Amino acid sequence: MRSGHYKESVPSLIVLSDSTAVWVWGGILVLAMAMAPYFLNAYLLSFLVLILITGTGALGLHVLTGCTGLISLGHVGFLLLGAYAYAVPVAKFGAPPLIGFLSAGVVPALVSIVVGVPSLRLKGLYLAITTLAFAFIISHVVLSMSWLTNGARGLPVMRPELLGIDFESDARFAHLCLVVAVATLFAVLNIQRSRVGRAFVAVRDNDIAARTMGINLQAYKLRAFMTSAFISGIAGALFGIYLSFVSVEGFPFLMSIEALAILIVGGLGSTAGVVLGTVLIVLLPEVARIALGMLGPQAEMLFSTAAHELRTVLYGLVIILFLRFEPRGLVGVWRDVKRLWVNWPLRH
Amino acid sequence: MQYLVDLVVSGIAVGAIYGLVAMGFALIYKATGLVNFAQGEMAMVIAYIAWTIAGTVPGHPWLVVGGALVAALLLGLVIERLIMRPMLGEPVFATVMVTIALAVILRSLVLLVWDPYPHALDIGVGRDVIHFGGTGVRSAQVAVMATLLATCAVMWAFFRFSRIGKAMRAVAADERTAQLMGISAARIHAVAWVGSSLIAGIAGIFFALIYDVSPNLYHVGLKAFPATILGGLDSVLGSGLSGVVLGVAENLAGGYLAPSLKEITGFAVIIAVLMVRPFGLFGEREIERV
Repeated sequence: MRSGHYKESVPSLIVLSDSTAVWVWGGILVLAMAMAPYFLNAYLLSFLVLILITGTGALGLHVLTGCTGLISLGHVGFLLLGAYAYAVPVAKFGAPPLIGFLSAGVVPALVSIVVGVPSLRLKGLYLAITTLAFAFIISHVVLSMSWLTNGARGLPVMRPELLGIDFESDARFAHLCLVVAVATLFAVLNIQRSRVGRAFVAVRDNDIAARTMGINLQAYKLRAFMTSAFISGIAGALFGIYLSFVSVEGFPFLMSIEALAILIVGGLGSTAGVVLGTVLIVLLPEVARIALGMLGPQAEMLFSTAAHELRTVLYGLVIILFLRFEPRGLVGVWRDVKRLWVNWPLRH
Repeated sequence: MQYLVDLVVSGIAVGAIYGLVAMGFALIYKATGLVNFAQGEMAMVIAYIAWTIAGTVPGHPWLVVGGALVAALLLGLVIERLIMRPMLGEPVFATVMVTIALAVILRSLVLLVWDPYPHALDIGVGRDVIHFGGTGVRSAQVAVMATLLATCAVMWAFFRFSRIGKAMRAVAADERTAQLMGISAARIHAVAWVGSSLIAGIAGIFFALIYDVSPNLYHVGLKAFPATILGGLDSVLGSGLSGVVLGVAENLAGGYLAPSLKEITGFAVIIAVLMVRPFGLFGEREIERV
């Protein structure tokens, strides 16, 4: 039995994972998800796609809120911007989808500077309120610039063709989402073990101490905003393609809450937590629907008529219950289980 | 000119509602140091309860108002006792997220319990129009302005003279020292939640009287945010008066610039104010010591 977890050099400290088991299981999981589209029916496949897209978006918020500690209620604003930054050039002006994805990342990142600069002076609650205001202003601007965005009518979006590969079918589109999600996951993990990522965490843990260590708070906060907006924008574009229609209604404010719920349920500040939280939050309404269905057809009826409301209540309850009883989130539960498994019958 | 006067008067009336809700924000922030994102939702729930009472026993305006205020009192107590008190001592992020979760839950519960259609709250008073020169004002609009002034006066006297009000100021200034002086912080928090729920309830009833009861009523909370920021999160009276300023500002922007601007005037004001003064216009500057 291994008696401890010893790190003896800097590379071993910042390596992605020193455990072969983690790499092997991670590989198996990715492989399983790559094969899944050939075995799942369309209904289950849509959940896989939703998990992958939502996970990408949650990773975007994770960089800002989880790593850097800047609470943002404006996540949905970046998702919406990303979706429109993809849809406007591709659907309206016939640009190649690759350009669309590039602009889906770059446009929110640029706009995030506009949000980020006033936010530099703000902390905690004030920042949350500013980002909330920002989300409303974005959807208003999108609605009022109807010559570009078709206003409330929205823009239809086709499945793209990238690098000569046609992503028209559901299975292909799931693969596209998988590639983006895995790439984003690695990008975020790599940011975290770089100088920039350590600076983010230092800003989160104690910004005054970070500043005395020579970290330029403003530069790093802006960088966190831009990284987060870039990732969220890509996720927004994918979500728009998934809906095959980009409109302001497709991106309700609830998405900001959903993203925060994912971070809290998974465990704030943990990348593995984002993955776990995404799976739980995306599947939660479906699990609740099945559970209610067992109570009888009447309960299931309620779910079909008031799906959005029940989903909202579920998110709210999950947030409150996790914050109350397990603030470390699913990652905390996982660590406890692991410790129990390794050390049983001893306690430590 | 008449157009301007009309815009300003109706702006003051709607601003008085924002001001009331904003005072609720500030009261909770002052006592507990957190922003209650569910303030608008609380106003909405109380307005719905008032509408239900008015529908069950028509013709008793005082019963409707009294019943709704008792419901507001209970709502504030229940939220504080069941949801907020267990979170005492947790980081601000966690407690604020709890209020956000509470907000979305209340919002959906209203849709589940009642229906998604707008209703008029008809209690027999408040709909008659009073004329001042050429400007017609509903009596409920006059009443809400008077209520805001009265609430401001009560709040001022409460913080200045009453024992609990002074204790609340002490808790706001330094919670630990206040506790060492024998003040129960938990009880002060409960008072703040009840007070803020009552004020939100009053605002909700007035909103329902002047406009209607609908699941979008919680927007009044979003609109009141800018007022709280403008007045300073910890300044109860400042928030109340800033509400009026913002009500007028958004009416003028909507009337003269573009109707759609009305919705986001407040948010634009938030960003502008926070860029110039990160702690609000009348808020106390926090000094961080290492």
